Amino acid sequence: MNWTNILNFSRGPLLHVAMIIFVAGLSFRLVRVLLLGWARDRAKNKGSKLWGVIVNYLKGLFVLPFIPWVRRTFRHNELTFIAGGLFHLSLFLVLVFGTAHILVWKSLWGFGWKGLPTPILAFFSAVGIISMIVLLINRLTHPVLKMLTKFPVWINWLVVFLPMITGFIMARHLWFRYEVIFSLHLISVSLLLIWIPFGRISHFLFYFFSKTIHGAQAGKRAVTP
Amino acid sequence: MKEKTIYEHLREKGLSRRDFMKLCGTIAGMMGLEFVPPVKALGKTLGPSPEEVVAQALKTRPKVPIIWLEFQDCAGCSEAISRSSSPLLSNLVLNDIAIEYHETLMAAAGFQAEKAKEECMKKYFGKYVLVVEGSPTLDDDGIYCTVAGKSNLDLLKEAAAGAAAVIATGNCACFGGIPAARPNPTRAVGVADLIKDKPVVNIPGCPAIPEVTTGTILHFLILGQLPETDQLKRPLPFYGHTVHDHCLRRPFYEAGKFAGSFDDEGARKGYCLYRLGCKGPTTYNACAGLKWERGLSYPVQSGHPCLGCSEPHFWDGGGFYQGQSTPIIRLDRGSTATLVGVGVAAGAALAGLNAVKKSRAKKDLRKDQSGAPGSEPGSKKEG
Repeated sequence: MNWTNILNFSRGPLLHVAMIIFVAGLSFRLVRVLLLGWARDRAKNKGSKLWGVIVNYLKGLFVLPFIPWVRRTFRHNELTFIAGGLFHLSLFLVLVFGTAHILVWKSLWGFGWKGLPTPILAFFSAVGIISMIVLLINRLTHPVLKMLTKFPVWINWLVVFLPMITGFIMARHLWFRYEVIFSLHLISVSLLLIWIPFGRISHFLFYFFSKTIHGAQAGKRAVTP
Repeated sequence: MKEKTIYEHLREKGLSRRDFMKLCGTIAGMMGLEFVPPVKALGKTLGPSPEEVVAQALKTRPKVPIIWLEFQDCAGCSEAISRSSSPLLSNLVLNDIAIEYHETLMAAAGFQAEKAKEECMKKYFGKYVLVVEGSPTLDDDGIYCTVAGKSNLDLLKEAAAGAAAVIATGNCACFGGIPAARPNPTRAVGVADLIKDKPVVNIPGCPAIPEVTTGTILHFLILGQLPETDQLKRPLPFYGHTVHDHCLRRPFYEAGKFAGSFDDEGARKGYCLYRLGCKGPTTYNACAGLKWERGLSYPVQSGHPCLGCSEPHFWDGGGFYQGQSTPIIRLDRGSTATLVGVGVAAGAALAGLNAVKKSRAKKDLRKDQSGAPGSEPGSKKEG
């Protein structure tokens, strides 16, 4: 078994199985949540549901992250807020605007777009990795967090960190032969895809789900979400 | 009579001593031989210089007979050697080092050719170099490729038995190549998969770069052994770096400037071809360094992405124009819909089961309450 074969295996059957588990698993999770039951909403429709949803998204994604001091979560633990925010921003930029990733989206959806210049991506991927390490140290040292952290949380951290670090090393051509680090990157990505439906990282999907519902409920009552 | 050395042979053909030394320098440079240059720069000498080593070998060693076998191939590697633009080297290999048997290039044919091969194998037993081009096939005892009534498996084993070293040239001979592409109907394999008791070196490529093949043969001739190899048995002097490492478009890769199609602005400006499916980052070959046609160009320079032709199974590693980062097996719309359906069905089934369980529990609770009015209020919480 040589690394070229391992690369072909991880780009081929392994990634394929991971994607199968990812798609079927997430559909399963979503249906399970949807069918848990709905409380009947007897409130009269006073405003616009759609407006509530739009406001909720705008506030959650574009306004509040940049004026964090108005939020209690920030005042309670600034470090988690900032590191967590930077981590999410970097991950988004690298996943959506990294050239290698754009090719993946293109192969899945049939269209691509222009990527960001490599130095900018390098900067943000480094920021993402550092944030992850900061969050880990915080979790390891914070007395309350330490007590709250159970085994699956460490797995969550690991399966997200591994693709990031291997991707960074690969894109910068450091230390390893390219096919070796490329295989390791794909293996860790497959691990992540397989783990997502079973763990809390599925919040990347459920976030939008709950944002929509909460926005709609608030909009119906004509209050600001 | 004592056998003539290569030097004597060349002198007889009219090569001057000066030209001979130039040839030695060229060979040493191409083989990547470098001994103690930093020490030499200080005005000290430690051992002979590379060209002296080459000259010494050519002066003292007799010709190395080469038997060149072709199995499932297109003869492209032979074509590349015979039309190589470094005539000095290919002439040396073709004429002076002596290829004793080569089905495509030799003038003889039929029984005479086979007889000549047998005689050569007998005369030079344990001394000749066996070069294999094309993949041997295993299925049905190798009957899908026969020469002079013998299967390629028999031919290979027979020729390898008396060989001092075996050189597999081209991707087919090294890893099975195109004949081994899925579904590999003849069960084609690489030479090294079959020959375990002889030193084997792989010179993959489609075709193999002629200077690399000749360089490896010369390495054996001059130093008496095959060059150091990587884990895929490829000589390190030629396969030590990726095409990406030495690519002239590399700065554009680093800057994130890519050609998006073959005729867009980026392509005209010579940007990196990664988005067009270039396999340069994982392909170990000397293309970017040695180039083709006497250093004129190589695929990436001419505007075409690297196909990865010196890597095993490059034919099955996804499309040639499909980006290297993309999954090889695509999740198409139909299978995605099926998977979503499976997930939804499983989720709904579980939810249904839960609902049934819940309603049963409720029913039981009601029954309990009506049957035993004085029961504990705490039991109400259950179910």
